[in-house]
Amino acid sequence: MTLTLSIDRRLEDPVYEQVASQVRRLVASGALVPGTTLPSVRRLARDLGVSLNTIARAYRLLEAEGFVVIRDRAGATVAEPAGVDQSVRARLLDHLRTVLARLRQTGMASEELLQTIRIEIQSLGGSAEETKND
Amino acid sequence: MTEPFVVNVFLTVRVFIVGGFLLILPRIVRKGLVFGTYVGEAVADGDAVRTIRRSWNRGCVMLMVLSLLVGYGISLAGRPVAGNLTGTAVLLLSAPLLYLRMFLKARVLAPPAVTRQAEVASASLSAGSTKTARFARIALAVCSLAGLATIVYAAVSYEAIPARITAYSNLCGLTEDFAEKSIVAVMYLPSANFLFSVFFALFGVLMTGAKRSLRAGPGGRSAAAQEAFHAIQVQTFSGTALLLCLVLTILAVQYIRIELSQTRSLGFGLAWACAALFLFMVANLIRILKVSGQGGALLEKGSADIPLTGGLADNAHWILGVFYVNKEDPSMLVESRFGIGYSLNFGNPRAVLLWGAITVLILTLLALPLVGVVK
Repeated sequence: MTLTLSIDRRLEDPVYEQVASQVRRLVASGALVPGTTLPSVRRLARDLGVSLNTIARAYRLLEAEGFVVIRDRAGATVAEPAGVDQSVRARLLDHLRTVLARLRQTGMASEELLQTIRIEIQSLGGSAEETKND
Repeated sequence: MTEPFVVNVFLTVRVFIVGGFLLILPRIVRKGLVFGTYVGEAVADGDAVRTIRRSWNRGCVMLMVLSLLVGYGISLAGRPVAGNLTGTAVLLLSAPLLYLRMFLKARVLAPPAVTRQAEVASASLSAGSTKTARFARIALAVCSLAGLATIVYAAVSYEAIPARITAYSNLCGLTEDFAEKSIVAVMYLPSANFLFSVFFALFGVLMTGAKRSLRAGPGGRSAAAQEAFHAIQVQTFSGTALLLCLVLTILAVQYIRIELSQTRSLGFGLAWACAALFLFMVANLIRILKVSGQGGALLEKGSADIPLTGGLADNAHWILGVFYVNKEDPSMLVESRFGIGYSLNFGNPRAVLLWGAITVLILTLLALPLVGVVK
């Protein structure tokens, strides 16, 4: 099965963010395994009909977040899992607290919030450790 | 058998081949596309589209009958060759007019939802086949080297070539007319070899980067179909470039060897190379018509009801359903909406430059014999 991603210019989210978020999700769910080569910036820009800068920006963002590694000749490949880095985990949890607080501000009830988080976790599939235990 | 009979048989075979090809074309396009217009997958199944297709079929049959009648008529009047050419011309020139009529009918069927669909674009996360890309690059390198080698061979042999050279020869290579020796006349075939084979090989390389038009949603099957179609197209162009290069190299070298009295005929190698080129092109055409369809249409059956996206679903950027002009799309080559293969994006300056350069080179090569520079 070939993996695909889609963009929708009618959405408020910028196109580079749409690309980055779909790659993030595919990496987190294990659909994109470490070492997988992603299409070149030029290839993806052509297929989506967007500018080279848009895709380059998405890849740079993913590299900064540790999802992909960019090498000059090999292009972008999915990064190896970062392992247990306490400082990174603390920073991400901090992000999560901010997001949860903002969602509560929008009027979401705790149950609804929990339900949403459960669905999102299920859509990601099992974590690396859970998979090993299976 | 008399000459008019043989010429009319040729005309009949040609009309049936071209007419049959025209009849098949609407059946191998991707679902949602109707005569160069994206009408949406649901509308493509409707009665209105079936009526347009029936109208096309009737039109094609009428054009075939008309071209045969014109050809036979002129042939009966004592000019069989003129009848053959006119009959073929009637079919080839009226087919675009018939297409235009169908395009205008299909254009009316495009619902407003189609415009919104063009705002969505999907892409495969596969990096593409490196094997196919490597084959295309090797074909380009081989064609360039063989073309240059032929030019160098002609240049080195120039002094030894006699003042009167062959202008025309029959299929066996026996001279039928002579011309004065000149650099243009001697270099004509080697240059044509270099330009034509490199042109085909270059297109093969460019096709490795052609836009892949996917369907929205979970389009794995659509992406796989696109990959297969893409690979067939690249292999066809690169393979054709290699075989064309072989044919033209043999032709150019043998002509010079005949002038140098090193051989008396073009040899059987040329006949074998021509046969290989012809069979390769026919086999690949059948492969596209029967196996993949245009854009992988025959391979994506399971996902054919999911909407097409991006440039292929974008009626606003297609002129007459044939010419794609989109300045914001970085693609040079995009999948054709009607017919077989890829179209240039005329909104891309590099594509326009390439098209202009190729047109000028081909016209120059064709014009040289007509204006008498090469006899």
